[in-house]
Amino acid sequence: MSTELKKALYNISALADLGQAITSENDFHEKIQSVLYVITGTFLANKGALLFYDKPTKKLNTLTQKGFAPDDLNRLNPEELMSLGRNEPYLIGGDPVLAVAGAEILTPLWVRDEFIGALLLSGKLTVGPYTLEDLELLNVIANQIAIALNNHSLFMDLSDKLEENRRLYEEMRHIYHGTLQAFAAAIDAKDAYTKNHSHRVAKYSAAIARELGWDEHEIEGMYVAGYLHDVGKLAISNTLLNKVTPFTPEEREEIRKHSTLSHSITAKIKFPWKNVEDMVWHHHERLDGRGYPEALAQESLSDGVRILSLADSFDAMTSQRPYRKKMDVQSAIAELRKNLESQFDHKVMLVFCKVLDKEIKGELPEPDILPHLDRDSDLSVISALLEGIIVELSRP
Amino acid sequence: MKSVQFSVASRREGDAAIIYPKGYLNNLSGENLVIECGIYIGKGITKIVVNFSETDLINSIGISMLLQIIEDLKNIKGTICCTNMSKLLRDTFEMLGLMQHMLVFPVESDALTYLKTGKL
Ligand SMILES: [Fe+2]
Ligand SMILES: [Fe+2]
Repeated sequence: MSTELKKALYNISALADLGQAITSENDFHEKIQSVLYVITGTFLANKGALLFYDKPTKKLNTLTQKGFAPDDLNRLNPEELMSLGRNEPYLIGGDPVLAVAGAEILTPLWVRDEFIGALLLSGKLTVGPYTLEDLELLNVIANQIAIALNNHSLFMDLSDKLEENRRLYEEMRHIYHGTLQAFAAAIDAKDAYTKNHSHRVAKYSAAIARELGWDEHEIEGMYVAGYLHDVGKLAISNTLLNKVTPFTPEEREEIRKHSTLSHSITAKIKFPWKNVEDMVWHHHERLDGRGYPEALAQESLSDGVRILSLADSFDAMTSQRPYRKKMDVQSAIAELRKNLESQFDHKVMLVFCKVLDKEIKGELPEPDILPHLDRDSDLSVISALLEGIIVELSRP
Repeated sequence: MKSVQFSVASRREGDAAIIYPKGYLNNLSGENLVIECGIYIGKGITKIVVNFSETDLINSIGISMLLQIIEDLKNIKGTICCTNMSKLLRDTFEMLGLMQHMLVFPVESDALTYLKTGKL
């Protein structure tokens, strides 16, 4: 694995650490303390501070800090921070006004039009300046912290803004997903032919899970597993992934390592969802035990694995690959049908057909699968095929 | 993922202190590691060996704790030696550029020999 990739993984797990710190059962002070540690640990900074803007007094209060002189932090003028931009890290450099506190990077925290406070960092231990990626990550983190702090103050006000709280929480999850998406884009970019594959597999899997009646949290976990199922491919050579001629047995072995790699990568990340690492690990297993990497069968395969396996195969079949043309949608569905019980799960297939059929009939307000299918598809033919399968699979 | 309750043990050998973190270094309880080192530093110890044989998982919070110890020792011109590190731990430290700020030895006894004699 390249250093860049390792760093990217470290950064993404830092986001998971942050989510964990914010949503933990700890009291507010402990949460803030953990949040600061996550940030200083991620940016290798010896000094860090989180300041909260108290509107009535128009003063910045230090929530927690390490390494700064308290008097220096008190000298910061909130008005000046507000003008710096929203949740955008600002490199202080020689700025005479802001240099007072001895910070190197200052990020003003905002939620919509409200100034919440500031995050200060300084004393980077390792050589080399902060990179663009570091600053982007800091921006994502700042957004999350701003929302968490705002939620807290809303809560303290005992305000009737519960609804707003809920919306802000949604926004926070959105940001988290944004980062995962960026990561999935990195996976898909490696292999020109699998463009957006992770994105589509995430969507398809979540749609199936929803139709199965999973709760929102579980659906989200399914979605994340879809995004990251092929993350192990980042560690496999581009030349091999984009090869046009058929793979040799050795090459096939090499490619097959990706699901185990996906597992070891995701296992290091402390996700708020259960089983993400299990799902990515076993997405190439088969019900008959002829899959890989562990040749698991039947009961050993969780519902999540079964969903991911079907969604992944369906997208693989309906996308062009370097070594073969893509299949039309009907043929892909027929192929799934043909491999029921040996490879794909009966119940999952039934549910998949139901969602797709509903989407085609316009019964779902936000279709997840249909928008990604070949535009030349004959929807009435597909729908008829799906109806047939649904009747057949619904028989006791 | 289960998290293992984190604890710290330590002992003194000559003019060095050996610290044994145990469990995942991934939450606030990692502060105990900083506190434990701080106690020895307070007693005038400048050589600290951290034996990682029972810690194979570290996250950003743990890294932050380690930065603190590195900084505390730097301020008194002390030495930090890390030993018995898993590959994952070594890789993480290397990727973050922490290796330049510490001495790394395969096992504890190597570190102690080095601290005593100045050579390997
Ligand atoms: Fe795969
Ligand atoms: Fe895939």
